[in-house]
Amino acid sequence: MIEDELALCETIVSYLEEEGYRCEQAGTVELGSEKVNLYEYDCMLVDIGLPDGSGLSLIKELKKCHPETGIIIISAKNSLDDKISGLDLGADDYLTKPFHLPELNSRIKSLLRRRKFEGKQELVIDKITIQPENRQVFVGLEQLPLTRKEFDLLMFFVSNRGRVLTKESIAEHLWGDFADSADSFDFVYSHIKNLRRKLFERTKTDYFQNVYGTGYTFIA
Amino acid sequence: MKLQTKINIRFLAVTFLVFSVAGVLFYFALDKVVDQNIREMLESRKAYILLNLQQNTPTSESIESPDHSIFIKRIEKMQQYIVFSDTLAYDQEEKELIPFRKMTFSVQSGDQYYEVILLQSLLESEDLQMIIFSFMTVLFGIVLLALFFLNRWLSNKAWNPFFKSLSVLNSWKIGESQIVSFDQTDISEFDQLNSTLENMMQKIQADFVNLKEFTENASHEIQTPLAIIKSKLEMVLQDKTLNDQQYQRIRAAFESTNRLSKLNEALLLLSKIENRQFVETSEIDICALVQSRLEYLEELIVLKQIEVTVHLETQVAYRMNPLLADILINNLLSNALRHNKEKGKINVSSKNQKITISNTSEQVEMDVSRLFRRFAKQTTSSESNGLGLAIAHEICNSYNIELSYRYLNGMHCMTIGQKS
Repeated sequence: MIEDELALCETIVSYLEEEGYRCEQAGTVELGSEKVNLYEYDCMLVDIGLPDGSGLSLIKELKKCHPETGIIIISAKNSLDDKISGLDLGADDYLTKPFHLPELNSRIKSLLRRRKFEGKQELVIDKITIQPENRQVFVGLEQLPLTRKEFDLLMFFVSNRGRVLTKESIAEHLWGDFADSADSFDFVYSHIKNLRRKLFERTKTDYFQNVYGTGYTFIA
Repeated sequence: MKLQTKINIRFLAVTFLVFSVAGVLFYFALDKVVDQNIREMLESRKAYILLNLQQNTPTSESIESPDHSIFIKRIEKMQQYIVFSDTLAYDQEEKELIPFRKMTFSVQSGDQYYEVILLQSLLESEDLQMIIFSFMTVLFGIVLLALFFLNRWLSNKAWNPFFKSLSVLNSWKIGESQIVSFDQTDISEFDQLNSTLENMMQKIQADFVNLKEFTENASHEIQTPLAIIKSKLEMVLQDKTLNDQQYQRIRAAFESTNRLSKLNEALLLLSKIENRQFVETSEIDICALVQSRLEYLEELIVLKQIEVTVHLETQVAYRMNPLLADILINNLLSNALRHNKEKGKINVSSKNQKITISNTSEQVEMDVSRLFRRFAKQTTSSESNGLGLAIAHEICNSYNIELSYRYLNGMHCMTIGQKS
């Protein structure tokens, strides 16, 4: 985690540690470069604007010594140029600050799945089996037909099991930059209602929990 | 008016004036000289006749010279005056009436009195005038032609650096082109102009870059603390021991933070549009864009049970930045959707390079003068930040597209079309 803003760094690290990751932090390019050269990581989160240089140079360095490490750029600059040059250098993903922690978590999970298991990993959550690679969900042996949005929604919840997911973060996950708070809340509500119903019909379990006026939690 | 035309017209006017005045003056001067000449000729002839008549008395009552230029006749009484007058007389040689100068005087010869009339043809002086007039006209024409060609040559030669600089300026786009340099010319004023322009352009470019960096940095600086607040609140929300009231309070703080960060993004976008920082453009098929945005919003449209009618008969295409086109159409369509009522309607139609998006709403007609202003919310809804239409308007402005609002048959209509 290479980020010069200590408060942000701490929050992200503590969120990720609760998810069971081991995290190391660096606040400068110099420190980051030292760590990148010494150790091998599964994933590097890197801010572009660092006090002693650009995070892009770290990406170059990492690509040289450990090309298998996943890279996610977290930048305050929503600039297309940075995005393109970062992805060109070999970064896997790009998140613009301020982002939602569950979003970061879900991106890391999906990145690790792609990198480590080539996406072929099967996720088993209670009675539900998910094949992320071909976007299929099974209950028992029977396939559960889900729309594209419903599948994305389920993956987002599964990635952040036990977490409170706010309506905003769900809307942004499904809609990206064009998430429009007011409209998409109704939308989120209707999708969750459908997903919840579909899962309940097959599994007879209600995995979703409403969190007072805030959002939902996936419990399994 | 073109520089060359303007100079030509001035040249023409001045030359015409000078030639008319000079022509008139020249005419009068020559006329005077000719008149003087004729008078002197008549005087000398008078002296000659006087001398002759004093020595010999005429034998007959009246005498006429063979060329009709002298006419002498006897009179009763001596007249003391000499009269000059102009008259027309028939000329044998020219076979027409021609003007003559007539001198009438009396003379005593012996004990008789005679009146002498001398005639001098004015034809020569008229010819002279004719010659002067045509000469002046031809000269005028020649001078005009010469001036015209001189002017053309001058503007091609001397003004050439100026026109070069002009074309360089025309093709210069702030933020896009690198610093231009003008060629050295052999005219010091143009060199001066070029170096002033160069300095100005460098200053503008530097200011532009500074401003761009400032807005980006400012947004960066604001986004980072926002990211911290947001993530901290999100962490707090994960706390299972919170009671409902605490949830509600954190929830409110979280919502406000979200709004603030959206607002910041929107303001940044607005200033970027105003600074013309979206330089890349391509031909955008607006109809296709509208269709794809509608597909994107379809789930929401179904949810709100809104009836959408699309009549895209003619192609509408504008040259603009793809991202801005996306934002423009998205803002207009999501506005039409957001301010709609349950089971309402949205109509999209195209006509003559214009697209109209109209929607039903609970609200009545909007105040057009405030509609496109920033933060000029006409609803109490906290869901909108009051920047959506301002952004749409600014995008249209920067591509010379007109965004207009009308309230027709209970429908709010937004029309975009190329400005005429």
